[in-house]
Amino acid sequence: MPGATLSRWTMSYFAAACLFLVIGEGMMVIGYGYPFAGVDAPETLALVHVLAIGWLGLLMVGALLQFVPVLVAAPLRGGRLALPVLLLLVGGLLLLVGGFGALAGVGGLSPGVLPLGALLLVTGFGLAAAMLAATLFAARPLPLPARFVGLGLLALVATVLIGAAFALALSGAVASDLITTLLIHGVPLHAAFGLGGWLTLTAVGVSYRLLPMFMLAPEEARGTSRVVWWAGSAALTLVVVRIAWLVFDASATEEPLALAGLLAAVATILYCADVVRLFRERRRKAVELNIRASYAAFAALLLSVVMFLIPGARAAAGEGAGAIVYLFVFGWLTGLGLAQLYKIVPFLTWLECYGCVLGRAAVPRVQDLVREGHSSLWFCLYYGAVAAATGSLFAGSPLWFRAALLLQLIATLGLAAELVRARMLSSVAEPLRFPVGTPRPHLFLPISRQQE
Amino acid sequence: MNPAPRELDVRPILRSGGEPFQAIMEAVNGLEAGQALRLFATFRPQPLFKVMASRGFAHEARELEGGDWEVLFTPRETVAPVEVSADAQDPEAWPDPSEHLDLTELDPPEPMVRILAAAERLQPGEVLFALLSREPVFLFPELAKRGHQWAGNFDETRTTFRIFVRAGKKG
Repeated sequence: MPGATLSRWTMSYFAAACLFLVIGEGMMVIGYGYPFAGVDAPETLALVHVLAIGWLGLLMVGALLQFVPVLVAAPLRGGRLALPVLLLLVGGLLLLVGGFGALAGVGGLSPGVLPLGALLLVTGFGLAAAMLAATLFAARPLPLPARFVGLGLLALVATVLIGAAFALALSGAVASDLITTLLIHGVPLHAAFGLGGWLTLTAVGVSYRLLPMFMLAPEEARGTSRVVWWAGSAALTLVVVRIAWLVFDASATEEPLALAGLLAAVATILYCADVVRLFRERRRKAVELNIRASYAAFAALLLSVVMFLIPGARAAAGEGAGAIVYLFVFGWLTGLGLAQLYKIVPFLTWLECYGCVLGRAAVPRVQDLVREGHSSLWFCLYYGAVAAATGSLFAGSPLWFRAALLLQLIATLGLAAELVRARMLSSVAEPLRFPVGTPRPHLFLPISRQQE
Repeated sequence: MNPAPRELDVRPILRSGGEPFQAIMEAVNGLEAGQALRLFATFRPQPLFKVMASRGFAHEARELEGGDWEVLFTPRETVAPVEVSADAQDPEAWPDPSEHLDLTELDPPEPMVRILAAAERLQPGEVLFALLSREPVFLFPELAKRGHQWAGNFDETRTTFRIFVRAGKKG
């Protein structure tokens, strides 16, 4: 039967993701990892994976478990795997971070846990990708947003497999010239697959569906959106070509990467033009905070991609273009993630609690679950802090970076507190809060089946 | 599978000086859903293309040997297939809707609230009809949970979703 139901474990994914975001930002506040260590230092690897897997990965998988069925108007396949996948991903991440910690010289840990962590992560992400791909496969022909998600899942699989090869090499479990070559040249490709392929393409696809929904804008796929998909596919293919080339020739040319970067820029510019058009054509004149905060993320996306392509800016951005990558991860991916959480969490909570009494009893509106005034200040502080942190990385000032990160952490905690308030229905006035027959929400666990 | 095209040869009518328009329209009205019309004429029937386009047909014309023309009119598949709830039997036989709701200008999830509230007011077996600007994917399971049946699809422009809801027994 067509339709989408609530994904039981999505809130648990979101809660774990927010926890890892706070941990990651906390690590930077106390000066752990880049820029206080090298880009390829084990400390930085630990930090990067807490953020990329713990925060962004769990956020995205949790969101897709809920929204892929919405994209294709069909039920999720294999939904019972949602909890095992969450446990595998969290367990795998902790082992991976433990392994990096051992490489950084933390006592009592062994790099030997890296392959085990990689195994859990490959299994977890593999199962997640299989559930989502099976759901998409059953709903062909796919609408354009779902095709972006399909592409993102392919990139996810590639990212995780390359990462697993790195884990084998770093643990010393496997020594081969091939894996060593991959480790020397392949780290930017692993990052490009993960941040650009998996996280960005998937976010782009979901936004093509959610933005028109939230703004009442026309939803039909435009030619420009199709070009974005094709440019994204071509860029990913070129990265694959580059990796395959490395296998045969370690001194291979980097030309495919330059072209992939150009394609990514074309895709980014067209995507930004699309979201501006959606904004102009919206029928809902007053836009909510989640939309305003999303547009700040789009600006960060455009700015970071354009700067990445300007050689001077890239050189000024520090080792590994750190300042630009920071803007991409925290301005674009994290900014968009927080903005959408701010909409999705109240909506899912509202549906979970009031779904069974809708039309039978007076219920609050979704927007009554949040305090837009407070949250708006937190978002301003958040984006201001991201801008300051990016600037301090360009300026090469670790002290200012830590100060900016402290503000960013405070803003993140403020937003997380707003999400907790929404979950607990704290902002809802008393007579409407719990009409007869409504289940009480749990902070991050699903309502038990008896209550449904 | 669409049924095989229906064939209509108006050349005898044209050669005898007659006007084939009525015969063509009768043939068009007699087509099954999804069926195409293959027309034979003594000239390229240009004015007919516009008439048929307005009725949702695309055309493909080719000249035959001897100067006659064959035109294949195929219906454009613009209407999305109707989706129905698992227990909705024979929606064509449902009674006429007793309530009509235009919810196209409301922000989600307000249309869902309105439809569920309206369904509460129906007597078992009564039907409501609603227009929405989105496919209400979260509404479907909620209707099923309450024992209501539904059938709906997008219109030709894919901008409006139309749904019939038939109230189940009061639970």
